[in-house]
This record gives sequence, structure tokens and C-alpha cells, in this order.
Amino acid sequence: MTTPVLEIRNLHARIEEREILKGVNLVIPQGQVHAIMGRNGSGKSTLSYVLAGKEDYEVTEGEILLNGENILEMEPHERAAAGLFLAFQYPIEIPGVATMTFLKAAINAQRKARGEGELTTPEFMRAVKEAGAQLNVDSDMLKRPLNVGFSGGEKKRAEIMQMALLKPSLAVLDETDSGLDIDALQVVSKGVNALRDGKRSMLVITHYQRLLNHIVPDVVHVFADGKIVESGDKDLALQLEAKGYADYDGQAA
Amino acid sequence: MRQTFPVRLGAAEESLIAQLKAAGADQAAERVTVAGLPTRRVESYHYTDLKTLLRAIPPLAQAANEATGTALRVPGAYALSIVNGAVQHAATAPEGVKVGKTHGGVLTNRDDVIVSVSNALTKDTLSLDLKGAIEQVVQIDHRIEGEAGHVADATKIFVADDSSAVILETFSGSDAAHVGNHATYLALGKNAVVTHVTIDLSGRATSHFATNEYHLADGAQLRTLIIHAGSGLARTHLFPKMEGEGAHADVTGLNLVSDGQHSDITMETLHAVPHTSSQPLFKSITRGRSKSVVQGKLIVARDAQKTDAKFMHQGLMLSDDAEILSKPELEIYADDVVCGHGSTCGKLDEDSLFYLLSRGIPKAEAETMLVRGFIAELIDPVEDEALNEALQGIVDGWLLGEK
Repeated sequence: MTTPVLEIRNLHARIEEREILKGVNLVIPQGQVHAIMGRNGSGKSTLSYVLAGKEDYEVTEGEILLNGENILEMEPHERAAAGLFLAFQYPIEIPGVATMTFLKAAINAQRKARGEGELTTPEFMRAVKEAGAQLNVDSDMLKRPLNVGFSGGEKKRAEIMQMALLKPSLAVLDETDSGLDIDALQVVSKGVNALRDGKRSMLVITHYQRLLNHIVPDVVHVFADGKIVESGDKDLALQLEAKGYADYDGQAA
Repeated sequence: MRQTFPVRLGAAEESLIAQLKAAGADQAAERVTVAGLPTRRVESYHYTDLKTLLRAIPPLAQAANEATGTALRVPGAYALSIVNGAVQHAATAPEGVKVGKTHGGVLTNRDDVIVSVSNALTKDTLSLDLKGAIEQVVQIDHRIEGEAGHVADATKIFVADDSSAVILETFSGSDAAHVGNHATYLALGKNAVVTHVTIDLSGRATSHFATNEYHLADGAQLRTLIIHAGSGLARTHLFPKMEGEGAHADVTGLNLVSDGQHSDITMETLHAVPHTSSQPLFKSITRGRSKSVVQGKLIVARDAQKTDAKFMHQGLMLSDDAEILSKPELEIYADDVVCGHGSTCGKLDEDSLFYLLSRGIPKAEAETMLVRGFIAELIDPVEDEALNEALQGIVDGWLLGEK
């Protein structure tokens, strides 16, 4: 059996004194797309930050294996080089840092960490152009400082473009649908689907079923009070949409 | 207001008084004798108490035998040098540049010890007349070489109507306890477009003082960029004067301050006539136990209606021990103006840092990117490519430097 791309074992995490993740177990085999659904405050976004290694959270118990390797001791940039990508719910605006400079630094840092040579400028330009065309990211956007003055849709498209360029083995999409209108949602979904190649795995975090019509998951998990309380196929998302999360209240307590 | 009681004079003041007297500047000597060096009670020196910070004034510097090279080479620049106060012979000037040598101070007299010492002690004065569109960067390379020395030098620059130029002044030299007192008088003719960049790269033992006086005629456009990245004590005092309608000045500056350093940019802009504007923007980056001071005063004369001016100072603290001091002042005598001031201070943004890390960029590189991003709006407008690169190099060098 091949090693799953992501394996989370009994993960507990807290911020300051408050425990938010209370025993998460999750296995995502190669090439699969899993969705996590849950209401606001259930800990979904915390899971994405803990995966990416944000300092504010303290992991008190459990393990996270990425392609069989425990990443908990790794710095965020090492996790990225190891194949993890987090598409932010709210991509950060960074004035003064040109988008192109940022993209080149990110790609080359990851390549360097993996012992690969840096991309030449023509190679880099070609890669950016190709990825940009897919997601309607034009050269005008790329000339601006990173995410500065981007609309909600532009920010999300830029995130997916970064994902296309960085080619992670696991992409975590944190509420990528938030702030998107129908048209933007379609562009972003198309971009994400183009990156489903049978090998890359994805974890799609959302609280609306809508996104899952566009990015159809292999498995849907319901998240409540810091852990996964039910798993099923894509129909589970439809049931949730109809019934809401009320059934899960108190269940985890 | 003058103090009427005698002050206790220290070694620095005694030497200064002797030097002023020897130069025949009795009035300046008398002023120092009565008031001493400015302390925090003098408003414009409130955060840069010279009596405490300047413990000694070295003897007046002698002519340097051998001059070392410039601290900052900008490819394609036309470089002139002033070494230990003496204007050096220069290579053939490019078209439109007339180089001359005169004598004496260049600054408008005012009740400021640095200004009066400059006017009293300056011997050689470099004069530049610039006419037409000068393509080459004109660099004035000030150096203080040899044993610790006190140097007063001055430059007077006239930029003719409808002309344009990029002027760079660099300050460096041997790492001794020099006191440099540098004056620049820069007059912009009608519709002249000038970029004036000054960079202090002196040794840590040096105390660097610069006073820049700017006069802008109708429609003149000035961009200044003052960078302190060398001396242990650095202070640049800016006096932009908007004298013609439509004149505009982007007065900008950057204090790069490391452990043990004290850097001060103090500006006093006068909007003397109606319809002028200025956009002073200063940034401080501090690390270790250090101090950055930025003071900005906007004065709007009574008739200077429709003045549009905003002072901004942004501080970035890379250590907990640093101090950033910010003092905006408005002195407005007209009633139909838009004037403002702002000041911010903080550390590198954690969320921005995490975002860059999450894309695989290692921490040190991510921090460098954010710092570069922080000052991009100061460096980016310098259009000359070679100069822009040189400035970026200084910032990168500072970032790589020891704490």
C-alpha cells in the first residue's frame, strides 16, 4: 500500500489556554480530495494553520505525517518545501513586495530546499504566464505589490496560481469560496480542478456545500468541536446543506 | 529666548570656541560661550542633546595626503570629491555642468550652532551650476580621512530653469572620531526637476552633521532622500523653502540605526507662497539598543493659501531595546490649506511573515523582503537605475550587517 499523502493522528492543539483541536484523525490517500465541513468556530481554520505551522498554536498531542514524514518539528517554510500548500482564507496584502519578486523567491527557495537548481528567468516567466492564463491573472496584476488592491476574487485566483506554480503534494484550501461571486467561484474551481492529477491530494475546508458542486470531493468529513465526527461520500455534503449542523451539537462533548 | 545665566562649558565647547575664535568668528564663539551646545531644552534638539552626545570636538582636519576611494561607486556617475574640506580637482565635467570653487559658508544665518559653525569655519566651497537635462548622476563624495578631525565643508548648487539633475552626496572616510559639518545650498529654478540623495556611510566613531537648504522657484519639483547608515551620531537638518507657485517637494529620508547609534532627521519646511505642496515621508528602522529621531515641521506663511502638505513618519522596530522618536509640528498662518501629519511605529507584521514562510521562503529571507518592502516607496522613485541599485545595495548591506 502506498503511503498516504496526509495522515493526522489524534491531533490536539490549543491557542493560549484554549484547546481547539481535540483529537483529529484523518487520512488522505494520494490523489484524493477530501472536504471538511463545519460551522464557524468548529476549529476548521485552526486545523489548516496547525498544518502549515503557524506559531500561535501549540500542538499538545498527536502527529501529522506528510508523505510519511512527521512535520510537526518543521518550520513553516520547511513544510512548504516538503510539499504542503495552504491557500489562505484571507490572503495577506504585502505593500512594497512585488508579486513577481515574491513568486520567484518562493519557487526558488523551495527548489533550493529540495536540492534542485533555481529556475532561469525565461523558465520562470514561462511558468508564470502559463499558470496565470489558466486563472485570468494578467500581467497587470503581477506588476502590483503582493495582493495589494486585489479584489476578493483576484486574491483567491492569485492563491490558486501560486499553488499551480509551487506544485504541492498536498493543498489545503481554507474557505477558498469565501468572498467569491459565482463567476469567480467557477474560475477558481476550474483552476483547482486542473491541478487534480491523480497524485496531488487536497483538503478543502468550507462551510458551504456550494463549493463542492465545483470541486467534487472523494470524501466529506464533518467537523464539530475540534474533531471529525462523521465521514461519508459527497452526498453527506448535500445532507448537511439540507439539515444543517444541529445534529452534531453536543455530540462531541 | 537667550539664556542669561552662564552655562558650564565642557571640553567639546571649549575646543569649538577656540576654533571659532581662531577663525575670527567672534559672534559665533560668543554664542557658544553663552549658550553652550544645545540641550534637550532647545526644541529642535529635544531628542538629540548635543551637550550629552558630543563630548569632544577634534582639531580642525589637515589636508589629507592620500585619499581613499569613494564609499559608494555609482556606475556612470560624474564624481567630484571634497576631502577634509578641500575641493579636489575633478575630471572633465559633462555638458551642462559647471564646476567652480568659492570660499565661505552657504547657509542662511539662523540661531543654530551647526549652521553658525558651518558658516564660520567653511573655507572651500564647491559650486555647481547645472543647466539642461543632465543625464549623468552628479556625485559629490565627501570624505574625512586620517586622524580624528573637525571638518566644515559646503556646496552651493544652482539648477537653471527647466533643467533636470540627479545629485548624490556621499559621506565617508576613516573610522575616527571625526566631526563633519556639511552644508548644502540647493536652488531650483523655474520648473527644474531635481533628485537630491545624501548618504552617510561614515565610520561608527564619526559624528555627522548636515544642513541642507532648498529653494524652489515656480513649478520646481524636488525629491530628496536622506539616508543615515554609518556614523554613530548622525543628524541632517533640512530646510526646504517653497518660494514659487506650483513648487512641490517630496522630502524623504531613512534612518537605518543599529546598536549604539543615534540618527536624527529634522525638517523645517516653509511654504512661503500660495499653491505649493510637499510630501515629507520618513522611515526609521532600528535594531539593537539604538535611537532614531524624526522631527518634521511644516510652516505655512499667511498668504500661502492652497498649501497641500502632509508629514509622515513610519518606524519599524527590529528589536525591543530601540527607541523611535517622532515629532510632527504644524505652524499654519493661512486659513485655506490642507496640512496633516501622521506617525506609525511597529514590528514586522507576524501575519505577513507567516504568509511568506508558508510559501517556502526561509525566515531571514522573508524578513529581508518585508524590510525592503517597507522602504520600497523611498527607493523606488529614484529612477536612475545604477543609483537605485546602489541604494538597494546599501539597504541590503545594512540588513546583512552585524547587530
